Amino acid sequence: MNVTNPTVEAFERERRRALIRQRTQAVIGLAIFTVLLLVSFQRSQFFGSDIGGDPLGRIADFLQRMNPDLKPEALLADRQTQGSLHSWFYALPIWLRAAWQTVEMAILATALGSVLALGASFLTAQNLMPFAPVRFVVRRILEAIRTLPDLIMALILVAAFGVGPLAGVLTLTISTLGGLGKLFAEINEEIDPRQLEALQASGAGPLKKIRYGVMPQVLPNYASYALIRLEGNLAGAAALGIVGAGGIGLELQRAITYTEFDTYLAILMIIIAMIFLIDLFSEAVRHRLIGLEKA
Amino acid sequence: MTGPAYDQALAIAPGALRAPWTRRVRDAVLLLLALAALVGMAIDLDLAPGALMTGFGKLARFLGEMFPPSSGGQSERILKALAETFAMAFAGTAIAAVVALPLGIIGAKTVVSNPALHFAFRRFLDIFRGVPALVWALILVSAFGLGPFGGVIALALADIPNLAKLFSESLENADAKPLEGVRSAGASPLAVMRFGLAPQFAPVATSQTLFFLEGNFRNAGVLGIVGAGGIGFELDERIRIFAFDEVAFIILLYMIAVAGLDTLSRWFRNRLA
Repeated sequence: MNVTNPTVEAFERERRRALIRQRTQAVIGLAIFTVLLLVSFQRSQFFGSDIGGDPLGRIADFLQRMNPDLKPEALLADRQTQGSLHSWFYALPIWLRAAWQTVEMAILATALGSVLALGASFLTAQNLMPFAPVRFVVRRILEAIRTLPDLIMALILVAAFGVGPLAGVLTLTISTLGGLGKLFAEINEEIDPRQLEALQASGAGPLKKIRYGVMPQVLPNYASYALIRLEGNLAGAAALGIVGAGGIGLELQRAITYTEFDTYLAILMIIIAMIFLIDLFSEAVRHRLIGLEKA
Repeated sequence: MTGPAYDQALAIAPGALRAPWTRRVRDAVLLLLALAALVGMAIDLDLAPGALMTGFGKLARFLGEMFPPSSGGQSERILKALAETFAMAFAGTAIAAVVALPLGIIGAKTVVSNPALHFAFRRFLDIFRGVPALVWALILVSAFGLGPFGGVIALALADIPNLAKLFSESLENADAKPLEGVRSAGASPLAVMRFGLAPQFAPVATSQTLFFLEGNFRNAGVLGIVGAGGIGFELDERIRIFAFDEVAFIILLYMIAVAGLDTLSRWFRNRLA
């Protein structure tokens, strides 16, 4: 096979060049990735730290310490008995109360944040706010809120408002405003303009236009987003407690202060159950809302 | 919106303009009940208006002290902490991806076809999906000692169930035809995976992992609060001593870094797509 066709030769040359380019790119990419990975593991003291290497051994030891050490024959005994369920969940009423506070924080923050986001979304939607500078400013504020991690905001607000649920509710309200404001504005911009035009033609003012032209179209979508947000806020509220913003997170912090690892596991299970229940609730309501929309 | 035209319209079609009074009463009662519940919760949480006012006063003072931002002569230390935060995020995401891959394969309906097993496994992952990284970090740092190691594991633990779920969904969404094609050419099962499935799955999985890297960089920034090092530790320290000009400097730097990583990652993801 003696190929002398110049077109084929040119093609082969081109192909070789493309292959070499591709492979160099892959090798360079892989090298950068490997270096990044090694440096990352080194910097994060994965294999060597002040308390020794052996990451797997440390994990095993930790799991061992978290084990509540239940005794099958004493499961239902009272609090004083070692190895009973009661001695593991020794402060259950207090924890449930704290968990409920966390739920309240999440609900309040979601409600307040949604109302604020509603206002902000009308100020940023192109079809409802004709004055461009207002749109610009409100949008930038919402963006700034979204880039700032919740917990950093919480740290500052705890410093200002003191330890307790108030700082937590405010943090989650502001972050809900940032997240939902954007989503609500997007919904607003997708509405059917004909209903607005009809209201305009009949001489309705801006408030009437929003009430009769926008609300009926957007409310189900709003509610759906707000409920998803509620799920996120609940997990957020649990974490915020750790930095002093009230609720079940404070109990986690307390368990750690007394190095009660098995207690931590117990509270963690309560948090997981709480998140799971709210997820179920929110899913059920959302499905109903979507069902209503179809009907 | 009243007038002769309105009256006429009302006479023709009363239901279209005004809901029946039973429904209006019901709506009003529901709204009042919801408001009462919210107020009740606020009272239960001890959210006092007085505390709110004093807090806003303090907050305004803090915000005033933030300007002009200042590094406090420690910019090198802050940059190092920022690098450490990125290292934590990168290592955590890498571990999460490596662990989530086999879990994702097990969780895919196309791999484990037994519906009961599939359901049980997915539910198992769901249980852990809601736990925030900070909750893991708190106990891990206490168990492993101060330092980024606990933070890395915490980020990985928070990501694994979420990433595994996304992985199994993208495996389920893979087109079966390329696999059949490779198989019909007489390829071994391994070759079917390599040439039929991997080219479909790898870009999607990489893009999802990059997305988690972005999220982890945000999360890693706060893990320092519970002692996992990095930028969160520096922030916490300065908030405690009310050095808000330095707090503002760190936050600005961190937000620029976050935006930078987001842009880089978006560029990568667009190239993959």
